Formats: sequence, structure tokens, C-alpha cells
Amino acid sequence: MKNIKKIRSITELEQTIAHEVQKTKSQTKPILTVSAGTCGRARGSMKVIGSLEKVIKKENLEDKVQIKVTGCHGFCEAEPNIILQPQDIFYQKVEPKDAKDIVLSTVLENRILDRLLYLESATEIKALNENEITFYKKQKRVVLGDNALIDPTDIHDYLSTGGYSALGQVLSEGDPESVIKRVKRSGLRGRGGAGFPTGRKWDFARRAKGDSKYIICNADEGDPGAYMDRSLMEGNPHRVLEGMIIGAYAIGAQEGYIYIRDEYPLALRHITLAIAQAEQMGLLGKNILGSGFNLSIHISKGAGAFVCGEETALIASVEGKVGEPRQRPPFPAVKGLWKKPTNINNVETWANIPIIIQKGPEWFSQIGTNGSKGTKIFSLVGKINNTGLVEVPMGITLKEIIFDIGGGIPDDREFKAVQTGGPSGGCIPKEKLDLPIDYESLTQAGSIMGSGGMIVMDEKTCMVDIAKFFLNFLRDESCGKCLSCREGTQRMWEIVKDISEGKGKNGDLELLESLALAVKDASMCGLGQTAANPVLSTLRYFKEEYEDHIKHKKCPALVCKEIVSSPCQYICPIDQEASVYIALIAQEKFEEALKIIIKDNPLPSVCGRVCHHPCENVCRAGESGEPIAIRSLKRFIMDWALEKGYQPHINQQRSDNNTKIAIIGAGPAGLTAGYLLNQKGYAVTIFESLSVLGGLLAIGIPEHRLPKALLNSDIENIIQSGVHIETNRALGRDFSIDDLFQKGYKAVFIATGAHQPMKLNISGENAKGVIQAMDLLKSVNLGEDVKLGERIGIIGGGNAAIDAARVSIRNKKCKKATILYRRTRKEMPAFEEEIESALEEGVDIQFLVAPIKVLTQSGKVAGVECIRMKLGDLDSSGRRRPIPIEGSEFEVELDTLIPAIGERPDISFLGDKSQLKISKWGTVEADNESLLTSREGVFAGGDVVTGPKTVVEAIAAGKAAAESIDKYLTGKRMDKEYKLNRPSIYVEPVELTEEEIEKATRPKMPKLKPQARQHNFKEVELGLTKEIAIKEARRCLRCELETEEGKMAIGWKK
Amino acid sequence: MNVETQKVKELIEKHKSQRRALIAILQDIQAEFNYLPPESLRFVSETLNIPLIDIMGVATFYRSFSLEPRGKHLVTVCMGTACHVRGGLKILDEFEKKLNIRPGETTQDGHFSLETVACLGCCAIGPVVVVDDDYYAQTNIRKVDSIIKKYMKKEKKNEEHKKN
Repeated sequence: MKNIKKIRSITELEQTIAHEVQKTKSQTKPILTVSAGTCGRARGSMKVIGSLEKVIKKENLEDKVQIKVTGCHGFCEAEPNIILQPQDIFYQKVEPKDAKDIVLSTVLENRILDRLLYLESATEIKALNENEITFYKKQKRVVLGDNALIDPTDIHDYLSTGGYSALGQVLSEGDPESVIKRVKRSGLRGRGGAGFPTGRKWDFARRAKGDSKYIICNADEGDPGAYMDRSLMEGNPHRVLEGMIIGAYAIGAQEGYIYIRDEYPLALRHITLAIAQAEQMGLLGKNILGSGFNLSIHISKGAGAFVCGEETALIASVEGKVGEPRQRPPFPAVKGLWKKPTNINNVETWANIPIIIQKGPEWFSQIGTNGSKGTKIFSLVGKINNTGLVEVPMGITLKEIIFDIGGGIPDDREFKAVQTGGPSGGCIPKEKLDLPIDYESLTQAGSIMGSGGMIVMDEKTCMVDIAKFFLNFLRDESCGKCLSCREGTQRMWEIVKDISEGKGKNGDLELLESLALAVKDASMCGLGQTAANPVLSTLRYFKEEYEDHIKHKKCPALVCKEIVSSPCQYICPIDQEASVYIALIAQEKFEEALKIIIKDNPLPSVCGRVCHHPCENVCRAGESGEPIAIRSLKRFIMDWALEKGYQPHINQQRSDNNTKIAIIGAGPAGLTAGYLLNQKGYAVTIFESLSVLGGLLAIGIPEHRLPKALLNSDIENIIQSGVHIETNRALGRDFSIDDLFQKGYKAVFIATGAHQPMKLNISGENAKGVIQAMDLLKSVNLGEDVKLGERIGIIGGGNAAIDAARVSIRNKKCKKATILYRRTRKEMPAFEEEIESALEEGVDIQFLVAPIKVLTQSGKVAGVECIRMKLGDLDSSGRRRPIPIEGSEFEVELDTLIPAIGERPDISFLGDKSQLKISKWGTVEADNESLLTSREGVFAGGDVVTGPKTVVEAIAAGKAAAESIDKYLTGKRMDKEYKLNRPSIYVEPVELTEEEIEKATRPKMPKLKPQARQHNFKEVELGLTKEIAIKEARRCLRCELETEEGKMAIGWKK
Repeated sequence: MNVETQKVKELIEKHKSQRRALIAILQDIQAEFNYLPPESLRFVSETLNIPLIDIMGVATFYRSFSLEPRGKHLVTVCMGTACHVRGGLKILDEFEKKLNIRPGETTQDGHFSLETVACLGCCAIGPVVVVDDDYYAQTNIRKVDSIIKKYMKKEKKNEEHKKN
């Protein structure tokens, strides 16, 4: 940086500014502007700069290419980023190894490096510069925009953007009162959080009596999640200083302080340097620019106390005391620092002043809404794709910020709430996304503007946990002066903590609310007065979530550790203790692992093959790697047991309870209910209408996925335990419900499933050659002869469609099997592993295709007319719906068409006299908890009630039915009891080797080679070997050991 | 006057022995000694004529001060809202487990101290962990191990140096 010459007059200042502006305009050297705020540096910008310098030196370009190190450009997600001038190219996520290419290709040869361009996820087009990036397009960066132009360590750079010309203008006018008038007219309100009109505040300070006055810049920025002040201080410190000097002049202050928090070392360095340079240039000190105005600015460092963001606490801290707020009035404008009139403003407020002077208050007041003028910088963080600092005009909607600028929620998750205003603010739910942002509207919605932190939350965020988080923060930061705040935040935290641990009681919510209102009412400063906001706003919009924690001991977002324990067990519909049997596998205790599995699961071999593994979807190992292969580990144990000839231990208690129970349907729900009721000593008979047992397990899922031998071994265990099953006995055809009760059955459980396929409802659907997937699979599974053609088309995207396709391609006649699905692969409901296997076997899948009509020739299928689909605009939940592309119709030649778009229960067997209430979707209505239907003594569960769901959910229905029927028959209440999710035993953890910690990954399931699968139904997945199973089991994070109970059980010292 | 007290004297004089500079003086002492030694507080009390109880009040009010010697490496885990939403608590748990200390404590060998901070203002790269002056972005459970190892290696090297 060149020497700083002292400027002694306003004219000289104007000349210097003009000179710097001109110099920059006429600059022809290529410039590489690197974003290097704290975050950028944490991501490696300094290393990038180092690499660039090396390359430039090597190529002897030191005088020809300039590297400019600036503060942050606001698009944190893209950092480290570089803006190349004069081409105006924006490179993102730059790494040191890119340096050579950037200099040699782009700078010297004007060749663009495609890989470094930002990719717009919405359009899938690469953006060349900021103007093409949606993140930037909707912003109005009047304050933050200059960050990209300025080297914050060189005051001349600030001058080159016209900096300090506003100061020059103000001093040459010589009319401090008019400055205040202009600030008033602009409508600027404090940006620190309270939003008090700035001009009015300056007026109070000006009019106050006092021989010495002070200005203060509040750079404490304590709100977690807010960092716009840091960005301004790091990237454009002179802008803040200029605002302060103008303000001090207007008010009549001769000394100023910048109170900056301890945790911002880079900002501190830059502002300290800026002050020194301003002094050297004569813009601070005595007789500034010959105007007779004196001002010196000092730095006062915070020492880690959130409450010091409150103005009276801040003042106490500057005075060297404990940061306790005091009563107001008197306000600091009248009696502030050392009891003198003091004007405190936030960093962003000060930074707005120069542009209000330069462009005039009318220009400023045209931006924004009636009550809230100008722009506001928000820090958009949390569960959002484009994290960064966004500066927008007041009045823009939350939806635009989150979905347009922010790019929506990562991983396509659902938006849940956005928290604004820090610990003094509240959470705003998705119903209020159209809210225009201004001070008043946010307050009405139960939040506040605050300093501008905007923390986006998705479905995996627990609102009870968020309330607990903020209360923990506030009780820690409470200065302790007021009983209501000191005790109140502590007690509120304790209540919410109990709720989050499953210890909540009735009456807690009412107590919480009344406590919150008392704290709000009786506290002296802003911290206490707003401490209740996070609690009150989450209660307002998410009361159900609190009630779930209290009444059901459930955390829907799976966050609260004491409630969830191990998420695999928590989410399992049948409460399988996955982490326990996995821990036992890790120790080679296979027999004990088997016992854990079968105690909760009467169809374990089946589940080990075909369960949809909700456990794996919530496995915590999957959050920073791959989930544990839980289903494969279960399968490993079941295969081991089969090999060893293990008979599951069955407790055959025969009490003299001969109460008869009838179960209709030998599918997973019926078999489970039958098994469990028999264990309890009841005399159970299962009536199955087909000649085979297992329901869809037998006639739906093909052999190559679930070998009949395995299914039958599970069913044989159940029969061996004493359950009596009669085949070829159909309810409706052979007997009625009345008959059963007449014959002495005391309870009936209907579990007939959902086997009736849904029609496509397009013309030609009844032609020859159209065969429903359900019918095809049933025939193949029963060993019947099936006539399929050569070119087979399957409509649908679920497991039935994939099953039908894989069965088709095994048929000797089939030359080609094509699945036609109306959405994209990402949205296909079929198991990912099934889709992969189908593709391996040569099945063709066409996405974004929907059938319009079946083409026939002489009554036989000749093809299907389809239309192409595209994903439409984002709807209110942030997802894209498929819409047809007009004029894109095309034909697919086929001789067999297999619809597989869903199933419904066939309840025609019930007739008119069953007395069972039927829903509008054709399912049997049954109570959620007790499974009781509208008829006394008749229960129903599984797909016949819910519509098509999964195997394990059917087993869960069977379990629930058994519990419920037992309670019913013994005169107990059929309410569900809610217990905390806990394992039955705590197994010692294993010690992982270093190599394991770093390198262990999820094993791939070994499969039959595709050639070996042709034309046969051999099982495709081959199972893990013992060594691999043990290795994988060791990778488990053992989440159940993280609860207090778990920690104590294995002797963890805490 | 011993070496430490001499140093404290210099720090007080650097701030022109002003009572109002108490917090700044304590910050300098903290930076110099890695904590606030009780003797230094007594000295400040006598020199600036501030009751020791008031100085203790300030020293215990502000989070950045420590009355116990801090470890060679200060691990600071950010507990701000954005980091929390991204799983910051798990990172803290993992450090607690691996170092076997709670926030505010120092390991037996004096190598590590663990602290939490309400927000570092680096929300975009959360969860954030700072060790000494090094910022770690997007930390996860696996990275915790490698972070601790990195500084353990440093300490081993230092010890070997000392031996030689």
C-alpha cells in the first residue's frame, strides 16, 4: 500500500477521491479478487492466494496481474470464490490446485474453466458471473456490495469507490442539524434489533445537555447465527467509520468507541488498522479537514458476554465494570457513557449513513415498506442450500429469501420453520412463508427482526430442542440482576429439558406459558423481556410437537437423545433392538443376537430379506457416511441359525385358557397376531382363503427376492408353536363373522390385506395382453403357466413394478422389458437396491413418461401411447410436480402391458351385513390404537385398514392386535401405553482400531452375476460372510449408549 | 517483585493505569499467562485501587477469562444456533468423550482445554470448531479424531525437541 498523505482540507479530499476513482476506472490490469473473510480463510482462501502468488511469480506476471484480497462477498456457500476482472467472471469453491489453470487459461488466454463456474440447481445452467446467479439477482446490495471491490487494509481502496465523499459533503455544508433532518427523513431504523428511528435518537443526543458527548458503535453481534456486522467490519471498515464520523459531527460528540466482541479477531485487526489509517489521513483527530471538528475513536473489546449487546450493559463494560444493564430512563442519549449523553448504534446502521447522505434520503425511503425503509442484511444459515449474507429491500417475502435466493432446503427435505431475531426472536412456520419482512409483520407473527439472523430449519429439526437450546443460552447469559430473568430462564429451561427427555407431565405447557409471561413482564432489560419468545413462538405454532414429547414420549424429528436412544430401534415398527443384536454380532455372540431378534419378530427370515429397513434410513452412521447394513446383518444371523439347525426357543405355555380367537388371513399381520396370542395361551385359528400361507409374502414377492424355503421356515416355526391354520377357508364364501361368534369365538381379527390392483383408467386397458402385476406375480409364485410376450411394458415405479419387471425378464420369451415411470429416479418409491438389480438384469427404465392409452390390434395389445413429463415449478412445500409436455406424445411398441400402479383391499367378502364401517377409500375403519372396528369384538389391521404398506408395518399391526385383543378379553383398557424407547440390555462397546475409524465403509451385498440369473429364480443376493458381517457390526455407533441410562450401564464416568 | 508481577506491571502501565481499562488489562494478562493467576489479580487490585472482590466479579462474569490454567491447546466448539441445527452438540459430545473432560476443564496432561462459545459468526461453514487460531469447517464426528491427533502429534514433537 502506498504512503498515506495527510489531507488538510475538504477540497483536497475531493481531489484525492476523484483521483482514486479515476485511477480505478482507467485500470487495465487483470484483477483477481479473492474473498477472504474469516469463513473464506477457514475454507482455504489464503492458501488459494498463496498458490496464485506462486504461479504469478513463476510466470513473471507480478507487475501485470493484481491479486486483491477482500472481505467476504456474501455467498458463503461458494467460498473460496474469485471474481476476475475485467471479464467479470465468478469462480466458486476454488482450490489451491486451480491456481495454475486460472492464471494461464482464464487470465492470459480468456478461456473459461467450466468446472469452477457456479451451477444453478434450478435451471442446471452454469452462471458466468454474479448477474446470472439467482442468489445475487434478487438482492439489493447497497451496503454489502462494496465488499467485493475493496481491500479493507487500504484506505485508498475505499476512496476509489467514492468513500468519505459523504463526510466531505457534510463538513462543507457545515450544518449538523440538517444531517439529522435527513437521517430522520430517510426513515432509517436501528439495525441492531429494536428498530428505533435513528434520526430521532440522534436528535435526543444532540439536544441533551452536556459538555462532552460520545458515540458508540455496537459491534458485539452476540446473536448466534448473525454475522453481517463481522462481514462489514472485516470487509469495509471505513464505511462504518465514515458513518460514525458523520454521526458524531451531527450530534456534537468528540469521542467515540467501537465495542467489538472478542470472538472476531480479523474484524478487530481490520477496524484497528482502519482507524489508524483514517487518523494518518486526517479524517480522524483534531481539526478534521480544517473544519474545526475533532473526533477520536477508540476500540473497546468485549470479553464474552451476550448481555453486553444491550446498550446499558455495553456502556458498563466500556467503563471496565461487570456488564449489568441498568434501569432506563434515563436513556443513554441523555445519560450514557460516564453519565454523558451517548448515542449508540449498530454497525449496519452506521454503515447506511454515508449512502443516505450521498444519494439523499428520498432515494433511501423509496426502498422498503411504509414502516421499514431501506435494505436489511440477513444471515441465511442452517438447513439451506445457499448459505450466506443476503441484503434485500424490506418487504420481500420469506418465501423469496428462502427458496429463490436461498435455493431451498438441502437433500430435498421439507421446510419446517425459520428462526429470526436470535434468542429474542421466534420461529415462523411454513404457513407464514408469504410474510413480507419488516419490523411490524415479524413482531405480529410472534418473532422480531433482531439483528437479522435467519436460521432455516427442516423436518429433522425438533422445535422442543430449539426452545431448549435458546433457553440454555439465555439462562447462561442472563446477568443475574433480575429474579424473574435469572430464575425464570433457569426454570423454563428445566421444564423444557424434562419434556425433551420424555419426563414431561400434564400441566407442564400451562406452567411454561405462565412462567414465560411473568419473565417477559417483570424483567428489566431486553434479554429478560424477550427471553420467553423462543418458547412462546414454538408453543404457538408447534404445540403438537410438544404434546408428542409429553404424551407419547416421541420426538418426531428424531433429535432428542433421551427419547430416541438408538434411532434404529426407535423407528422400527416392531421395536427390534437392532443396535443390541449388532453389538452382539460384533462380539461374535451369534446365539444371543438371534435371541434378541426373535423375541420381537416372529418373521425374522422374511424381514432379513425384504424389510424396507426404516432403521437404515435414520441410522446416525448415515449422517456422515453410510448407514449400517442392518437388514443384511439380520439376514446373516438368520442364515447362520438355519445352517446350525437352530430352533427358536418357543415358550409353549399352555394355560387352561381356551378362549377361542379367529384370525382372517395368514399374511404377516395375521401370522404375527396368531403367534403372539397363542403365546399368551389363547386358542387361535387362522383362516386363509388361499391354499398357500403368507399372503403377499407368498404370492407377491418373487422367489429370487424371498425364497419360499425361508418364508416357510418362519411360518413352520409359528405353526410348531401351536397356532392352528386352515387353508382354503374364505370369509364371506365359506362362513360369516356371525358364524364365528356363534361357534364360540370371542374375538375376530381381520387381516386380509390389499391385493386388488388399481386400474390405469385409460382406454384399451381390457385388451388381451394386459395383465396386472399382482396377477402376474401370483401366478408365477403359485407355479402356474404364464403367457408373456416378447416386448413387455410395465407401468409404475414401486416394488411391485420392479418385481413384475424382473419376473418378466426371466421369462424365456421376453426379449425386452421396459418400465415406464411418470417421475424421476429420485422419486421412485421402489427400493434403491431393487432398481439397481433390475438395471443389471437388462430391464430398461424410462423416466418422466406417462401412459395415455393402450393401442390395440384385433383386441390385443400392440403398444401404448405415452406423453413425456417434466418437473414443474416449486409448489408451496418446495417440491416439483410432474406436468405433461404438450405435443410430446409418442408410442412404445409392446405385446404385453403390466400395470403396477397400486393396490386396494378387496372387501367385497364382507357383504352388507358385516356391521363394519368402511372408509371412503374402501378400507376397513379401525381405531388407531386399539384396532377395534365399529363392531364389538371385531378388530382389523394391516393393509386392509391402511391400504398398501410394508411388511414390517403389517407385523406391527399384528403385534398391536394381539395386545389389544388380550386387553379386551381380560377386561382391561385398550389404551396404548407410551414408554421411553430403551434396549433390554446394554452390551459393552468394542474398541475400534485407528484404521477402522478412518477407513471402514459399508460393504456391498454380494450378488449373483446377472448372467447367472437368466431364466431362473435363484436368490440374487448372497448374504454377507462372517468376517464382513462382524466388521460391519463393529462400525455401529451404538447410539443407545448415549443416553444417561446407557452411559451409566457401561460405567462411563461423567 | 518477581518476573510475573513485573510483566503485570508493564501491562497495567500500557493502559495508562486507568481503572476504566480493567477489562482490557485482564485480557492482556489472560493472553500473556493463558489464565488469570490469583497473584496478578491481587497486584491489579493494589495498583489500581479497586477492591479485589470487584475484580473477581469482572473475572467471573466474562466468559473469556479463566481462573484456572488453560491447556496448551484450546478447543472451542461453537454452540450457536446454526451450528446446533447442523449437529454441533454431537461434536461437543465427541470431544468430551475423546478428551475425557467437560467444557471448562483441562486434560490431565495439560494438552487440551475444552470450551464452548455461543457463536463465532461463521455459520455458513458450521459446525465450527476452533483450536488455537485454526478454524475447522463442517466438522463431523469422524473429523474430531483427526483434529485431536493433529495436535497430539505437535505435542509429541515438542516433547522430543525438549529431550534433545
